[in-house]
Amino acid sequence: MIKITRLFQWTIFGVIGLFGVLGFANAIVTLTAIDRDLTRETRENSQNIAKAIADSNVDILLNNDLSTLQSRIDQMLPLLGSNGYIYITDEHNEIIAHTFVPNIPEEISSSEPTGGIIERTLKGKGDFFEVSHPILAGVGGNVHILIDQDDVSLLIQGAMGNQVWPLAITFLIAIVLGLLLVNLAARPIQQLLHYAVALAKKESVDEPQNEKLLVRKDEAGDLARLYQYFALVADPNRSGIDAK
Amino acid sequence: MKTKKTDRFSNPTRRTIVKGLAASPLVLALGANKLGAQELSQMSSNTQSSNSEFVNGVSDSQIVLGTSAAFTGPSRGLGIELYRGAMAYFQDVNSKGGVHGREITLKLYDDGYQPDPAVNNTTKLMRDDKVFALFGYVGTPTVTRVLPLLKKFQDENFLLFFPFTGAQPQRQLPYGPFAFNLRASYRQETGGLVENFVRVGREKVGVFYQADAYGRSGWAGCREALAKHNLKMVGEATYTRGTQYTASLKDQVEWFMRDKPDAIVCIGAYAACAAFLRDAVDGGLQVPIANLSFVGSENLLKLITDTHDNPEQYSQFLVNSQVVPSYNDLSLEGVQLYDEFMTKNAPSAPSEVTSDDEEYKTFDRSFVSLEGFLNAKLMTEIFTRLGPEPTREGVEEAVFTIQDLDLGIGETVSFNEDRRQGLDRVYYTIVENGSFVPLNDWTAASNGWTEAAS
Repeated sequence: MIKITRLFQWTIFGVIGLFGVLGFANAIVTLTAIDRDLTRETRENSQNIAKAIADSNVDILLNNDLSTLQSRIDQMLPLLGSNGYIYITDEHNEIIAHTFVPNIPEEISSSEPTGGIIERTLKGKGDFFEVSHPILAGVGGNVHILIDQDDVSLLIQGAMGNQVWPLAITFLIAIVLGLLLVNLAARPIQQLLHYAVALAKKESVDEPQNEKLLVRKDEAGDLARLYQYFALVADPNRSGIDAK
Repeated sequence: MKTKKTDRFSNPTRRTIVKGLAASPLVLALGANKLGAQELSQMSSNTQSSNSEFVNGVSDSQIVLGTSAAFTGPSRGLGIELYRGAMAYFQDVNSKGGVHGREITLKLYDDGYQPDPAVNNTTKLMRDDKVFALFGYVGTPTVTRVLPLLKKFQDENFLLFFPFTGAQPQRQLPYGPFAFNLRASYRQETGGLVENFVRVGREKVGVFYQADAYGRSGWAGCREALAKHNLKMVGEATYTRGTQYTASLKDQVEWFMRDKPDAIVCIGAYAACAAFLRDAVDGGLQVPIANLSFVGSENLLKLITDTHDNPEQYSQFLVNSQVVPSYNDLSLEGVQLYDEFMTKNAPSAPSEVTSDDEEYKTFDRSFVSLEGFLNAKLMTEIFTRLGPEPTREGVEEAVFTIQDLDLGIGETVSFNEDRRQGLDRVYYTIVENGSFVPLNDWTAASNGWTEAAS
């Protein structure tokens, strides 16, 4: 157990508080960045997948080969996480291939054409953001990708967890190191106090630690020597004091 | 596995593997503890006849075809029955000395009706096993993914023969030139079903389909057929490939209950389609429920029959399209031959690719095995026309010499550059007295469905 000297109590509380504020601020900045970057990255990936499907299946669509088209989107599906969906609409906004089971959600089958990124809530399936990309500038239809926001949240939480642990451990190490350093700084003062009390009580000061204190080149050494001087001035006959 | 022990010719894969291994006396000695003397003797005799080297799947004594199909999982009945039908014919050919002195053997892999294993298996068949051609694949999601491999290896002239799927990708560009089909397409099957339903006044057609390339292919066929009558689908629902019979499909049934279709076309495999039929009838959705040939009619009916005291309650709503005639129609020469060979050769399930953990009882006769039988018959004809020095390069030309070939089913087969599908006819069947019989009168059948529902 590390004992905190009264002199440095407020100092150590201040250091801990400072570390806390720094750690908290750091965590906020980092986690916000993670949230922003991962959300953006997931959306960009979804857009890239939608674009890849749209660009690479033009011939298949023109050949009306819907089974190959279905096969292609089935291959892409694992890239969308555990609860992602893909659907493709033709130029009349009719769904011609999709990955929904057991049926196309009403929110989608009854919706107007969409573009860009929108947010959707599908009954019984959850909250999604939907990314769309046109096929042949829209005249061939659109590819739509649905990403489960829970999946994104889990991804973000996972990444945040990875960041929070190192931050928490760093914070704890910093506190322990702060306490140790403060104690290290406080030790000569405690020795000085011990020496001064011994001088005042006219007890023996012939101890190795006092010897070390008296030869120190810092303020603690100066004060010890000053106390020794005062002790000799007060009692020139006092024995056991080897003036430095 | 409740299957009969494979006989001499029904287990070519193990035999082929053993031929390679058996050259080593050590292997023979090690194996002697486990194998019977008769089996060992058989292997040895095979080894003696297989010393010649294979070039592109052909040796002096054998032609090897490669197959990746569902031999395990919920759709294993399709792969097993298709294989059994083909082996019934190949065994007979081989027992008579093969084609131009070469036995026809199959190198088998199980893909469980899953695309990724099918792609891996096909790569092995092409690169490692170097088979002569691909034969008897099962399923649209698998075949659709395999087709690009044929294009990739087009310099080696691999072709895919008679896959058990009616989907479009292997019937049209860009992959059409790499495959030959015997069966009618799903477009033809769904077109025929929709046409007949509409003709008898059942214009509100719903579609229940597997959420993959197969389902989409059938869905597209229904949509196209309905569009010809200015109609649209009335309800659609999907299920995940690999769904077992034990699964509940009540959500899908509920979805249809809202739309109240007059008929439902199912694009699926037997386990899920049987589950849907069960839940539909139980849930009050009592309309004709049609299935395509791929479903595996006997497997579907067996699931319903085995699990209900009164299976007619469910089967009376079944109407299945087929791409081969009834196996009970012994007036057809080809069916007679099938009947005879299935009895004589009694092909068993391929034990080397099936799983001991999955019980499967083979069918004496089935539409799927009849299709496998016809596939093998036509494949043998192609090998005969290829002559004594078969090469992959010459296969296409040999196939194109087939004009008005009679397979003995009342419909001739022809191939040319623009026609790579042999048969076009679709047959319709309903269940009577526990088995599938031809459906000849749709009006009467429709009245029967209405009566049953009321």
